[in-house]
Amino acid sequence: MELATKKIVLRYHWVFRIREGWGIFHQSLLGKIGLVLLLLFALMALCSYIPPRLDPMYDPMTGVDPKISHSTGPSMRHWLGTDFMGRDILSQLLAGARIAFMVGVSAAFMSIFLGTAIGMIAGYVGRIMDTLLMRLADMIMVMPTLLVVLILSSLFGQLNIWTIVLIIALFRWPGVSRVIRSQTLSLKQRPFIEAARVAGASHLRIIFRHIMPNVLPLSFLYMTFRVTSAIIIEAALAFLGFGDPGTVSWGMMLQWVWKTGHMFKAPYWLLPPGICISLITLSFYMLGRAMDEVLDPRLRREQEAG
Amino acid sequence: MELRRYIIRRLVQIAIIFFVILTVLFMLFRLAPGDPVSRMVDPDMTPEEAQILISELGLDQPLWMQYLYYLRNFFMGRFGNSFHYGQPVVTIIANRLPNTILLFTTSIILSAFVGVFLGKIASWHKGGKVDAWMTIGALATHTVFLPWLALIMIWVFAYKLGWFPITGMISEEVWLNPEAGIVAKSLDVLHHMALPLATLFLIHFGSYLLIMRSSMLETLKEDYILTARAKGLSEKVIRNHHAAPNAALPVVTSVGLSLAFSINGGALTETVFTWPGIGRELVFSVSHNDYPLAQASFLLIAIVVLVSNLVVDVLYAYLDPRIRY
Amino acid sequence: MNLTHNVKTHVLTARVLILGLLAVMFLIPWRHAYGADMVKVGLLQEPKTLNIWLASDRWSRKVLGQIYQPLYIRDPKTLKFIPWLAQEHPVYDEATLSYTVKIRPAKWSDGSDLTSEDVAFTGRLIKEFRVPRYASKWKFIKKIETPDRHTVRFYLKTPKAIFLTRTLTTPIVQKREWTEVIEAAKKTEKPLHALLNHKMDRPVSSGPFVLKDWKQGAYLFLQKNRYFFGQDKTIDNRKLGPHIGGIIFKIFGTSDAAIMALKKGGIDMFWWAIQPGYLEDLRKHENIRVFYNEKSALYYMGFNVRRPPFNDVNLRRAIATLIDKDFILKRILQGYGIKMYSIVPPGNHFWYCPNLPRYGEGLPKEARIRRAYEILRKTGYTWQVPPIDTEGKIVKAKDIRLPDGRPMKRFTILTPPADYDPNRAMCGMIIQEWLRAMGMPAFSKPMAFGSLIQQVKTRRDFDAFILGYGNLSLDPDYLRNFFHSRNDKPKGWNMSGYKNPEFDRIADLSAGTMDRDKRRALIWQMQKIIMNDVPYIPLYNPKLVEAVRSDRFTGWVEMLGGIGNIWSFCRLRPR
Repeated sequence: MELATKKIVLRYHWVFRIREGWGIFHQSLLGKIGLVLLLLFALMALCSYIPPRLDPMYDPMTGVDPKISHSTGPSMRHWLGTDFMGRDILSQLLAGARIAFMVGVSAAFMSIFLGTAIGMIAGYVGRIMDTLLMRLADMIMVMPTLLVVLILSSLFGQLNIWTIVLIIALFRWPGVSRVIRSQTLSLKQRPFIEAARVAGASHLRIIFRHIMPNVLPLSFLYMTFRVTSAIIIEAALAFLGFGDPGTVSWGMMLQWVWKTGHMFKAPYWLLPPGICISLITLSFYMLGRAMDEVLDPRLRREQEAG
Repeated sequence: MELRRYIIRRLVQIAIIFFVILTVLFMLFRLAPGDPVSRMVDPDMTPEEAQILISELGLDQPLWMQYLYYLRNFFMGRFGNSFHYGQPVVTIIANRLPNTILLFTTSIILSAFVGVFLGKIASWHKGGKVDAWMTIGALATHTVFLPWLALIMIWVFAYKLGWFPITGMISEEVWLNPEAGIVAKSLDVLHHMALPLATLFLIHFGSYLLIMRSSMLETLKEDYILTARAKGLSEKVIRNHHAAPNAALPVVTSVGLSLAFSINGGALTETVFTWPGIGRELVFSVSHNDYPLAQASFLLIAIVVLVSNLVVDVLYAYLDPRIRY
Repeated sequence: MNLTHNVKTHVLTARVLILGLLAVMFLIPWRHAYGADMVKVGLLQEPKTLNIWLASDRWSRKVLGQIYQPLYIRDPKTLKFIPWLAQEHPVYDEATLSYTVKIRPAKWSDGSDLTSEDVAFTGRLIKEFRVPRYASKWKFIKKIETPDRHTVRFYLKTPKAIFLTRTLTTPIVQKREWTEVIEAAKKTEKPLHALLNHKMDRPVSSGPFVLKDWKQGAYLFLQKNRYFFGQDKTIDNRKLGPHIGGIIFKIFGTSDAAIMALKKGGIDMFWWAIQPGYLEDLRKHENIRVFYNEKSALYYMGFNVRRPPFNDVNLRRAIATLIDKDFILKRILQGYGIKMYSIVPPGNHFWYCPNLPRYGEGLPKEARIRRAYEILRKTGYTWQVPPIDTEGKIVKAKDIRLPDGRPMKRFTILTPPADYDPNRAMCGMIIQEWLRAMGMPAFSKPMAFGSLIQQVKTRRDFDAFILGYGNLSLDPDYLRNFFHSRNDKPKGWNMSGYKNPEFDRIADLSAGTMDRDKRRALIWQMQKIIMNDVPYIPLYNPKLVEAVRSDRFTGWVEMLGGIGNIWSFCRLRPR
């Protein structure tokens, strides 16, 4: 009986929090702009499946217009023009959105997973484990990820997109784990953890049942920032010519326009990918900041006060 | 006293971290496939000649011997000769490092100062139009894709308007001219530095602005500010002399924390603008399989990052009397 | 306090402004006044070194080519050898198997005489240290004699066709400059290492220019060498200068920057092949002239003929039929190149064999598939879904099987990465698509250049690759190096693992044949054998497109390999 009420209260609490959160989020201009932009990019990613079905010449990687064999400006057939070998830039741009989401979200998810797990373990177990993990985090945190991936990619040959994602994830967890660790440390002092321990709950249960639900929102906040950094690193890598040649990412498009000498002559080809990379990172960033306001009660209070 | 112990502890930590990086780097560089001799391919080179080159370059010893040599050489400051340039790596790095430091520190200091200044203004106008536009502007410039921004800068200001040189660091017209004095030469460098500096500045000042803004907002709620207000000091004095110095502290930390990010950006900027710095050299050596040079520049960058983190932490501890480690 | 502070700031601002103004005033006149008679040449990368023995990169060679000179160089039109540091053509003595070369009166840039001693010294240095890239051209020299200051005699162990074309074109270095260096190097544990890593700051020059200044990462300044032997002389019916005060090599790092500088007049020439994307603008520019020249280059697809599936010549021929060279040329190279049908580039008229099999020449895609299908079907290949269905229509084929009934395992086509060469990476991708249409499990894989070479040459663990030589020697001896079974060993030049005793025999014969016409017949025969067996499929030879400013200097000399040659720099004149 008592347990049931508790569950209801708990559920109510969650629903309430989400609704309250949405309310604050809704007020935030940044959050709204970010969300709209993001939906737009998501739509682009979805649309990327359409052009190749219309005509094989709209395949972003291998499709070439049979009549065009050099870069041309926007036209009815090709809304954003064609690249140097007659491939459609719009379909490449759409496919790029898909890759950006894929890279950003999967790298961010992996790094958040790692960061949360390591942060919780370090904070909960403490002592030598804490020191070891946090020193490791310090070490990785100071490494410039782009340069590390660059060195790895030149050493091990061209990396494919999933390897790049994995490396980015492996180098981007320390920031998260630091935050999660301090959150865990403060949670550990709280009475309900103590109570659970006294009641005989196992360590795993405490971590998963009691600590994890409380740190997860924070993890997801960090996820948005990780998405931006993953997208930027992949794009920079592709721009420098170390990306996965089998994928049409925005960075790759910029590399093509650069390497084939169309940089200052084909603005219809140079501008879209650059704008897209900048805007997608901006939108995730804005989203992150808006969520920050939702999750950080201190800032909220201040807003109420001011 | 405590501060000194803290510094010593951190130094020991840095030494250990560095040793780990050193070892990992060695393993990565040796275990990876890739053959430096292949960089010197010529249809006419016979296998015997290639073999001579390999043994002359010292790549035929067993791995553990290579490791011992590597450590010894590192601690004696001998990084070997660059495969590509055929000169000691130290010479090349010593040649490039000042250029990087010049561009890098100028950009960080400039963007930190402007960021702090604008962040202060934004916090004054909290909730107003100025604040909203500044925040959005800061976010937008901060998230622009750096190499793309650099290219657009070159296109607009160097190519279309012709105000600045396209790339490079010095122009031969000035430096070869026997009449040009030190003033003309340094102005020439400044002239070349303008665009890369502006690019790095645009990318970086936004984050400092945002940090300063929120830190300022928090500081304004502190007790001593209330005390100052109660004393009847003017708002301006309170903000500029009481709140701002304390609020700027987190900016100092963030300079340290964002260093890795800045270094990524620095390498990209140097590459696009052909600024003869260490970041560009690293990108170049990596794509030319110049192991010693890539290794040394990476280690150098690691040292720079670690040491500046220490400096920032110590500075922070020194500046903020509330913090003791 | 605040007030004085403000005043101070204002004073400072005013000072900065004044300084800035002064600077602008001073800078602008200098920019135009200084270096009016200097040709400014844009380079993409920093030269590696000025030590000629280490200089394996093209940037160093471009600079050093103006400094160290060989005995013979090629005439830009006929490509025949003409005496340069030498006075006349070498005299052959069949009895002693020796060549005698007379040196013309010439001086080094330090004012001392260039003598036969310097020539002999250069040869001995190469032989003694076994200097990479040069040793193979000198190892068949038995001894070098210097009967007098202007005569040098080379005794050969056996007749070698490459003696005239490659040995006598080695740049000559000054004995005085290098004696100390090699004495010191010999005392070290690794003499060659010491020699290669000797830092050369101011090489003594025998050429038209001499190095004055090198600002790392920015420029190299070569001043006119007043001791240059060719000054105002007429050699090969060409009057030589140099008529310019010097060359400034500027380092740009990216093609974009260099081409923008060219358009703005910041450089007079960009010494690098220009990508087709830039051309439209450059051609429209009134002060820019574009040159189109052929290159001695070979870009090709190579197979590992040591193992299945490419040990079968029929499969290789079918693939040669499937590859649409017109597509590659028109789309990937944007029309700037020529199709290749032999290992020897067609521009090398004398050695190029004109009537070789041209697989699938000019056919549309469907006809290629039909013909390749015929070749494969007849030799026992089967499909789960053949590319031609029962009604004779083309369909997407599935699961090709080898003649022995086993399915074809997936194979990779290795290419350099796109940042190294976008064209080859792109070719790999397109060829992959063409082969997949035939049901072949092809995967194109760009790989860092170093790893690629190691995979192909050292480990020899690969299926197929796309590589190229941007600067093939004009002497076709490489044909022998590429396919002789003796070179099928780790790091050997026979990367395909091609073995044919008949070919080996003819190749060996050709290396020892001194008579040009007889050698030509053998070289043609070798090309026929190779193009019949296709261990390599030659793909294309890109056209070299270069651009210069036409408003300041004239007199560029066109030649195979472009306008950046010693003749151009000796004959350029200010307008």
